[in-house]
Amino acid sequence: MSNEVALIAAARKGSVAAFTDLVQSYRPGLFRFLLTRSPSYADAEDALQDTLINAYRYLHSYDARWRFSTWLYRIAINNVAKLRSAETVELGDLRDERSDPLAFCIADSDRQNLWQCARRRLTDEVFTAMWLRYAEDMSVNDISAVLERSASWTKVNLLRGRRILESELGNYANDDKSKAYG
Amino acid sequence: MDKLARQLRDDALKIDCTISEELDERIRASLQGITPEPVQKPGATARPAWFWWASSLTGVVAATAAIVIINVQAPEPRPVAENPAVTPLVLPTIKWNAETAVLTSPLEQEIEDLQSDLKKAEEAVKQDIDRLF
Repeated sequence: MSNEVALIAAARKGSVAAFTDLVQSYRPGLFRFLLTRSPSYADAEDALQDTLINAYRYLHSYDARWRFSTWLYRIAINNVAKLRSAETVELGDLRDERSDPLAFCIADSDRQNLWQCARRRLTDEVFTAMWLRYAEDMSVNDISAVLERSASWTKVNLLRGRRILESELGNYANDDKSKAYG
Repeated sequence: MDKLARQLRDDALKIDCTISEELDERIRASLQGITPEPVQKPGATARPAWFWWASSLTGVVAATAAIVIINVQAPEPRPVAENPAVTPLVLPTIKWNAETAVLTSPLEQEIEDLQSDLKKAEEAVKQDIDRLF
């Protein structure tokens, strides 16, 4: 953590190397998240670039009371929202797998990736809350800060998201059973 | 960690997030061309003390002037109309043929059952939330 503080201080003074080191560990998770939220692979790449540029440019506005990842995700979500409003693409309606970055990036598996299902069934905010909780292991308070929502909203919607995905999991299990027993 | 949480974490890790060298280079080049905005010091944009005095004084003078102008140009009282004609308002009378609804005991029972079901459901959701988070 003290290393992170030192890197932030150096980056604020204009050190690109310090900033690169600072965001190095966050980049994979951030890119994964952007792949789930962007209409195409190229858009996810652009969103990552914009997020990092904005983070570097406005690093002075980072408040050390928050976790750095929380702040970074807030910028990423804003960038994705801008991208989405410009392109007006409904991610839930993505049918063409060739243009869907998530389908492109997921390794072959015997079952559908749950995040694809989550993207289809959950609203943007609930999806993001679920991602931050289960893929990024963020606390409810941090998720609330990223989404600018109350902690109780976050808790209720995480529960709602879980319920929906659990029912989907149940459906998969039933499908598998019916296949196994003909 | 329960089954769903484990599966979500594992499925997230299955998403390939390799950042290409080209993108890495692009990001690096973009960062080189940017100068981070300087940290704003709290006192940097503060106005001098005399500014607030001058501003307050101007406000007081403007308010006094407005009061004086309003009082000087007060409008003359309007002449009162002499014996305005009063037209009687006749409302049509409506005959209501309505009967008071009486809740029968099965309906009351149903409301009580529904209320107790609602209470149970609320408790179940609260317990679930407390258990999970």
